[in-house]
Amino acid sequence: NNSYQLSSVPLQIVFYVNGIYYIFYFLATLAMIVYKCQVFSYPHKFLAPDLALLFVMAILEVLRLYLGSMGNLTEEEAPLVLSLVIMVGSVILSVYFLVWQTYVLKADVIINAVLLFTYGIESVLQVIAIATFFG
Amino acid sequence: PPETRAAARARPRSGPAPVTDVAKLCVCDLLVAQCDVNCCCDPDCSAADFSLFTTCSVPIVTGDSHLCSQKAAIYSLDVEANPPERIFKLIDQVNPSVFCIHTTNYKQALSLSSPEMPTSENFDQLLKQFGSASFSAEPDSWSMNTDAQNPSDENETYRYEYGVPIQTADAFLRLPSPVVSSWCSDANPAGFLVNQATKCIRSVSVEKCGNIQAVSMLFYINSSILAFVLQVNITVQSIVVQSLNGMRTLLNGSDVLRLPMILDELCINIVLGVTYHITYTDAGEIIEAAASFVLGAINKEALSIQQSFEISFTQVNTKPVPLSGNPGYVVGLPVRAGFRPQGYPFPIEILFAALVLNTNKYSQLTILQSTSNQDCLAAQGARTPILFGYNMISGCKLRITAAMKCQPLTQTLLDLLKGQSFPEYVASFGNSQAQDVLDWVPITHLHISEQRIHNTFQSSCQIPVSLEMEVKWTKYGSLVNPQARIVNVTATITTTTLKQLPSGRERTIPITSSVVFTDISSPAEPGYKAWPTINAKLPFDFFFPFV
Repeated sequence: NNSYQLSSVPLQIVFYVNGIYYIFYFLATLAMIVYKCQVFSYPHKFLAPDLALLFVMAILEVLRLYLGSMGNLTEEEAPLVLSLVIMVGSVILSVYFLVWQTYVLKADVIINAVLLFTYGIESVLQVIAIATFFG
Repeated sequence: PPETRAAARARPRSGPAPVTDVAKLCVCDLLVAQCDVNCCCDPDCSAADFSLFTTCSVPIVTGDSHLCSQKAAIYSLDVEANPPERIFKLIDQVNPSVFCIHTTNYKQALSLSSPEMPTSENFDQLLKQFGSASFSAEPDSWSMNTDAQNPSDENETYRYEYGVPIQTADAFLRLPSPVVSSWCSDANPAGFLVNQATKCIRSVSVEKCGNIQAVSMLFYINSSILAFVLQVNITVQSIVVQSLNGMRTLLNGSDVLRLPMILDELCINIVLGVTYHITYTDAGEIIEAAASFVLGAINKEALSIQQSFEISFTQVNTKPVPLSGNPGYVVGLPVRAGFRPQGYPFPIEILFAALVLNTNKYSQLTILQSTSNQDCLAAQGARTPILFGYNMISGCKLRITAAMKCQPLTQTLLDLLKGQSFPEYVASFGNSQAQDVLDWVPITHLHISEQRIHNTFQSSCQIPVSLEMEVKWTKYGSLVNPQARIVNVTATITTTTLKQLPSGRERTIPITSSVVFTDISSPAEPGYKAWPTINAKLPFDFFFPFV
């Protein structure tokens, strides 16, 4: 009975795709950091922040996707808003990996661009969903 | 002014800044303000110079190829144009790989880091980081002062290992050796189980005869070696006295200490050489130490002497069997030889060691050693060991006067050429045992006399003038690891007639001795495995119904 259902199906689809893509993103970034260690000169002073931020981003992402998905399915605004706030952190971290990393390879640019694009679509759909639940 | 001087001292000097602009980097530009030939990037070259080039030695200068896009300077010569001109292009090279570096926030990644320039402030820290033992200051344990040393707590559980300096009651067992120049330095410790032989020069003078410590016997034997819980005293094994003209005599009583003293304007009992013999056990303890000395004398004109030092280690209860190879001879090791002791009838020889060898492996087969004064009669028995594979020739000059008698002269020359104990057998392998007589090759003696055909009626005196030894050896064993094996040794003595000289006249004839090693190995025959045969037999009931 579609007219009584407030949960947004596109948002759920995007969350699902985001989850799968993020797994690929995490493994690819980790592999590329290992590659950079071998090929370039990567002192520990620069390697430690990059790795730490990658793991922090993974934790934030899991949290964000869980809250967002739960909020969408239970039609609650609070988890969705929290998820949106966490997304700000994720976006900053993604921009870090795009611009401020020690070595930014072309592949890094590509996967981060795709991630930011996904975040963009997701944020728009989330705002619409929050507005729908409020009203 | 002191302020600027202080400022100049404090400012660290750094190397020249690296050139990273691709258009300005030119590695073939070696001549300053001159045009380098075939160097297309040289700014000193004019268009007229370019027209003389044939090719560009540096065709392209690129930046780091890991970057996604880097600048490249391409130099080429356009030979079609008349006159040829240089083409310079600055392009952006694109790296198509997806793993190219888009940006990097670590600026030093793209260039080699400049090393830190040492100044007075950071010198200690750099020394600690990069300096090793060769640059460190003298460590405290090397001090030779008796008051600074506390040896009593060091011989508690001390076990000598290879290379460890041998400790004595005061500091270490010294083996003076040349350090930077040929002058003796007394700070070289003898290492355990490290057989060493050194020669160095020490400055002496007759006036300071008794004052120079290092030429007195006491200096080398007064300290006792610390070994485990014992203290081993260094005993005097033998003393050889060398006279001014080089003649050496072995002293009979060797337990008396002979200190340098002045006698008839000479300073005698000066240590010219020390040989230490250390006996050790397999537990790493030293149980015996003996020193053999060569003492000499110097006269007023002598300003320096050459001292030679040697140390050798023998394990207790073993007789070192000096092998010259295992099994084949090693080039450079002395040829082993011995002689059969008289009086043993043949069958008994098989039971006992049939051959007697000199315990010093360098004295088994020797050749006359040429000395600086080439007089044969004053040579006094200096001999040098024959080393496998090294052809040697030596000689001296014999001055014959009318007063010399034939027979004693012949005997003297034979002794000179052959030495005191000329062996009868030479080992065919480097590890031949004295018990196996068949492993030993007898030395064949030949006699050639240079006869003058006329004068046969005169009672001619034949004196030996040359000894030529020819050692024929062959390669034995496998193709990849051929072993040298001596097959035949021939000693040829050439004699010549000694004509009676009128009195007052003198003649000088040369005496030579030589040893030649000839390789008579036959070319190797490779052995092949048999061709594989096809072993195909039909089963016996193959043609069943018909057979």
